[in-house]
Amino acid sequence: MALFTAPKRHPLYPVSRQMRLDILEVVNEVGFGHIGGALSSVDIILSIYNSDNFNLKKDHFILSAGHLCLALYVVLAQQNYFSKDNLFTYAKFGSLLQGHLNLDTPGVEYASGSLGQGLSFAAGLALGDPKHHTICLTTDGEHNEGQIWEAITFANKYHQGNLINIVDYNGVQLGGKTEDIMPLEELAGKYVRFGWTVRTINGHNFYELDNALKLAKESTIYPSCIIAKTVSGKGISAMENNFEYHDIKKIPHDLYLSAKHDLQKY
Amino acid sequence: MISKNIKTASMRIAFGETLFNLALKNPNLYVVDIDLYPSLYLQKFKERFNSRFIQAGIAESNAAAVAAGLAASGKTVFLTSFSCFSPALNWGVIRQSICYNQHKVKIIGSHSGLMSSDLGATHQMLEDIALMRVLPNMQVFSPLDAYEVQKMLPVIANSPGPSYLRLVRPETPLISSPRQPFSIGRSHHLKSGNQVSILGHGPILTQLFLKDFDKYSLDIINCSSLKPLDEKTIVASLQKTGRCLVIEDHQKIGALGEAVAGLIARNNLKVRFIQLGVNDSFGQSAHNYFDLYHAYALSPLSIIEALKILLKKYAQSKRNP
Repeated sequence: MALFTAPKRHPLYPVSRQMRLDILEVVNEVGFGHIGGALSSVDIILSIYNSDNFNLKKDHFILSAGHLCLALYVVLAQQNYFSKDNLFTYAKFGSLLQGHLNLDTPGVEYASGSLGQGLSFAAGLALGDPKHHTICLTTDGEHNEGQIWEAITFANKYHQGNLINIVDYNGVQLGGKTEDIMPLEELAGKYVRFGWTVRTINGHNFYELDNALKLAKESTIYPSCIIAKTVSGKGISAMENNFEYHDIKKIPHDLYLSAKHDLQKY
Repeated sequence: MISKNIKTASMRIAFGETLFNLALKNPNLYVVDIDLYPSLYLQKFKERFNSRFIQAGIAESNAAAVAAGLAASGKTVFLTSFSCFSPALNWGVIRQSICYNQHKVKIIGSHSGLMSSDLGATHQMLEDIALMRVLPNMQVFSPLDAYEVQKMLPVIANSPGPSYLRLVRPETPLISSPRQPFSIGRSHHLKSGNQVSILGHGPILTQLFLKDFDKYSLDIINCSSLKPLDEKTIVASLQKTGRCLVIEDHQKIGALGEAVAGLIARNNLKVRFIQLGVNDSFGQSAHNYFDLYHAYALSPLSIIEALKILLKKYAQSKRNP
């Protein structure tokens, strides 16, 4: 997986290791979580929230794939939207942090959980707030949903230069590899044909993420797609590229120890 | 059918004109259309307010979430289509993106009920109220006639959360009083009487203004605000008459009839109850919706049958032993 190695000299790199450890500790503590996607998408979300190009008090971040909420929660805690203690109440009764997104959580702009809707919502928001950017995070598996393609067509029609869709392309979904469940074939080419600008990057490389976000911001009449190639379960060797860790209940103790060991070396 | 001197008007034209007038005053009013704007008489809106008219094409799911996103940026959004497409096709999007996220999207579902006559069963939406009533945060309205559409729209446009407004295709009799104001959660009497309470919504109620019904003393309530429902007015009427007839151009399952039945049970009311509606079946084509009302037991004849059953003597003696 040389392609997906993350350069360690970027200042966000140690932060991302901490985010991964937080995700592992939360899932281990509460015995529930979509860990595979959280570990593949956390670098993307971290990069957006720490970007010099966007101000998320004014620009918008829409997480379309609601099951990635744990990755968003650890970043929101890092950004002081709420205290880190809240993380360990994740999905518990009465928690501020629901099992899928909810508007009561500080920093959450769109409550998702049912896939395929967020990009349409982001397109509507980008249309209604043309002075700011709307960044949406979808997944490769989510592109099974027909509504995604309706939204891609719509954004092209309205020349939504202020709309950015980042695809967390980790190659797996709940029941197997994306290419087996429903092949996406050449996703970048499809976006181009639908009138978008597209950039394919390593979604764990913060330099590439920074650069792609900067270039996406510069696009004024074409909506931008960033296909971020990622590794599901990134950082935990037993979970990497393994669809069986799409979500997990209780982590077996020896797996927890080896995962923690992996992440401490990350 | 209705006496010749009663005027008729199109709810859809009333909708298009009223929305245009609201848009003149409210620069935040947007339309997201699903390529049915001529059917909803929005041509004038489209020309005059082009930048506020979003044409989403024949893609209901995307349109509903785009509407929610626009509403999130502070707009009042009318999502316009036929009810057999929106909310029928995009229910899950309405549930999550509009209701769960609590956005000010006003869903307009035209061509509802058997009144879509010659378009056939696919377009005769008989399930819309059930689909919308069940959603948290959603308010549901079914106007009686074109006047009520005019009165409802400004109120709905100002109400904060999501709403669903049911419209029908043909021109229908004008019954409601233009002076009677509309308010959410309030029902009004179209006639007062003490023999039988008739509850319903939409233009099907206008059949009750035929001469044939003059010999009955009917307490007719227009339940155009289906959710929230004016339970107080309904319960008071049922306590007065002890007899209830619910009539609606919708499946019996999931709409006003069941809401009233629940109300009767919860309040321990001693009421004879008959529900007229479509009985777990699809519609079919006809050139005139009266033929369908006859076939589906919603016509004046069926209503009179029901009234006769409700008024049978033993019912009275059982109620007051």
